[in-house]
Amino acid sequence: MSSGAPHRKRFSWARLAFFFLFWLMVAGWSVRDLPVGAAAAGGALWISLKLSPSGDARVRAGPLFRLVVRLLRGSLVAGFDVARRALAPRPDLRPGFVSCPLTLPEGEARDVFRLLQSLMPGTLPTGVEEGRALVHGLDLSQPIAENFATEERLFKRAAGHE
Amino acid sequence: MSFLADLVSLAAIGAGVFFFIAGTVGLLRFPDSLTRLHALSKADNLGLGLIVLGLIPRAENPLAAFKLVVVWALVLLSGASTAQLIGRALRRGRE
Repeated sequence: MSSGAPHRKRFSWARLAFFFLFWLMVAGWSVRDLPVGAAAAGGALWISLKLSPSGDARVRAGPLFRLVVRLLRGSLVAGFDVARRALAPRPDLRPGFVSCPLTLPEGEARDVFRLLQSLMPGTLPTGVEEGRALVHGLDLSQPIAENFATEERLFKRAAGHE
Repeated sequence: MSFLADLVSLAAIGAGVFFFIAGTVGLLRFPDSLTRLHALSKADNLGLGLIVLGLIPRAENPLAAFKLVVVWALVLLSGASTAQLIGRALRRGRE
C-alpha cells in the first residue's frame, strides 16, 4: 500500500488543479474572485474523493489514442446510422438484447467503458448481470458482441488493465 | 479567410441541425422507448458536436471556444449516463 500513497497524493493534486482550471474557465480570470475559486475547487475535490476515491489506473498514450480515434469514428457512424434508420421509408430496425461477456472488474473503469460504449453505433448498455453486460441493439444482424469485445480489449489496454 | 470560416460554420451548423431533426424523427417513428433512446442519444450527440464545431470559428476568444467544447462534453456525459439509466429501468420493467 505504501508504494501507492504518493501516486494517490499526486492524483489528488491533479484533480484539484483540474477543478480550479475548470472554475477559471467558467468564471473568467479575476484576482478578487480567486479565493472563491479556490474554495469551490476544494469543495469539488472533497465531493469527488468521497464519490470516487483515487484509483491506480495507469493510462497509456498509444492505446488511448487508438481508442479515442475508434470512439470518435464510432460516434460519427452512430449518428449517421440512426439518422438513416429513422429517415428510411419504413424504419429499418431489428431491435433486441445481446448478452456480452464483460471482463473488466467492477468499479470506475467498467462504468466509464459502459458510458463510452453507449456512444457506439446501435448499442446501448442497460446494466450488468452476473458478469455480463446486457446491451440493447438497434439491429441484431450487426456483430454487436464482437464489437463490444474488441472495444473492451482496446479500453483495457488504454486504461492499463492488462 | 472570413468567408471560408463562415462557410465552414454554415456547413457544420446545417449538418448539426439535420442530425437533430433526424433524431427527432426517430423519436417519433421508432416503435418503443428503448429504440427511441438510441435515436436521441446518438443523433443529438453528433448534431450538437457539429453545431459546436460550427460555432468555434465564431467564438470571441479561445476560452469561449473551449467553453463550447466543454458544454458538448457535459451534454455527452449526462446524455449517455441518463440513457443507460432509463434503458436499465425499461429493461427491468419488461422482465
